[in-house]
Amino acid sequence: MVEELLFQEDYQIVDLILIAIALLVAMAVAIILFFYFSRKRIIKSELEKANLKIANQKEILQTTIITQEEERKRIAQDLHDAISSKLNIVSLNANMLSLKDISSEETNKIANSILKVTGNVLESSRKIAHDLLPPTLDKFGLEAALEELCEEVADTNSFEVDCNLQYLEHFLNKDKELHVFRIVQELFNNSIKYSEATNLTLKTEMEGKQLLLYYSDNGKGFDVSIAKKAKGLGMSGIENRVAILNAIHTIISSPDNGISVTLALNPSKDEN
Amino acid sequence: MDTLLDISSNFAIAFCVLNALLYIFWLKGNNKAFRIFAVYLVVIAVIQINASYLKLIIPINNNLFLFHFYYILQFIFLTFFYFELLKHKWMYVVLVIVLGIITFQFIETPAMFFRYNPLGVAITQGFIVIYSVLFFYKYLHETNEFLIINIGLFFYLLSSILIFASGNLVFNMELITKYGYRLLLNLNNVLYLGLQFLIFVTWWKNYYSKKTIK
Repeated sequence: MVEELLFQEDYQIVDLILIAIALLVAMAVAIILFFYFSRKRIIKSELEKANLKIANQKEILQTTIITQEEERKRIAQDLHDAISSKLNIVSLNANMLSLKDISSEETNKIANSILKVTGNVLESSRKIAHDLLPPTLDKFGLEAALEELCEEVADTNSFEVDCNLQYLEHFLNKDKELHVFRIVQELFNNSIKYSEATNLTLKTEMEGKQLLLYYSDNGKGFDVSIAKKAKGLGMSGIENRVAILNAIHTIISSPDNGISVTLALNPSKDEN
Repeated sequence: MDTLLDISSNFAIAFCVLNALLYIFWLKGNNKAFRIFAVYLVVIAVIQINASYLKLIIPINNNLFLFHFYYILQFIFLTFFYFELLKHKWMYVVLVIVLGIITFQFIETPAMFFRYNPLGVAITQGFIVIYSVLFFYKYLHETNEFLIINIGLFFYLLSSILIFASGNLVFNMELITKYGYRLLLNLNNVLYLGLQFLIFVTWWKNYYSKKTIK
């Protein structure tokens, strides 16, 4: 069994073949390991991306809730100040009226006071409702509502408002008109509160099949990249609404150069 | 060495038949790629059994012609298998061309029927290796139940190209290559056992998870 003669050449050939096979095996292992590690890496980076997206959405959700609470607080305060306290007075007056022995002159006086206070309350409640959602928007459309908004801001006499509106009626459906209105409202609020501007411009025009909206002020401006990270809902709220509208927007602002916002909207198709 | 070769080759055949049976019994409710693979396993098992035991029924000396059935049928079935997974139309074109080349080889050298076919093995197994690399690339960030089988096929086919390509040396040389030949055959058996093991692992994983997680 052990009497096999080893011929040098044949031995070498077998050796060569074995070495080549070993090399192929090594290469195969290398390729498999390469794919395995690439896989891990890709899956890891996709996971990171997904987590980032989730964290971002969480943040948006939280800011939305915070703003919602602030808004509720404000409404509660408004209602309390303007309405409950005044209704209290009315109730006191009515109570006095129900007393038996009072002169007709006093009755008249009290009745007038009640009239005056309820008039006030009516006015206040109308104003609160209007601030929340102007009925003009629903009844007369976007152009009228925006015009009214411009007039209100101009009426405060601290700003000069340049308003130039051109809007095709029913270009957007009611929901989208509300979003546009809110965006403009937010822009005005930001300018009023922070920008220390004196001149505000709002312009809308129909161009082809699109509605273009321009807003600008001559205030102190801000750094756009910083504002985006800020927790205030201003910017992200506007961006969310723009996304819902399926529109394209650009915000240009830099310190001391005011702000200029452009919005491009497509007509509402029948989505329902 | 002889007994080791016998034992390992018997073990390989047994494992091969076992896998074929397992996959056939698990045929129901599985996708097309799986069925093709099951048929492939059956065909290979049949060839393997013939290789070892045909001489008991029919008195022949050289059963090397079975080798041609082996690598050609392997190529055909695995091409269909990978087509189901990769869906590249050009794979069929490759199939036709390669079969054409092999037919041409047979016409030109009919004696090749009783020897190994280095070029044929290299081309057919080489293309299957390419398909398995494409499969790796496609499923780089997903998972697929055939991933383990793919690793096994890639590994085994790549390594065994050289083993089978050098098989013809047995006709040219004398005593020493019997030793080297057996060494190569042992190596082939070991790698083949590895492949069968991975096929088994795939079956086990799926069978197990279907039973417990549903």
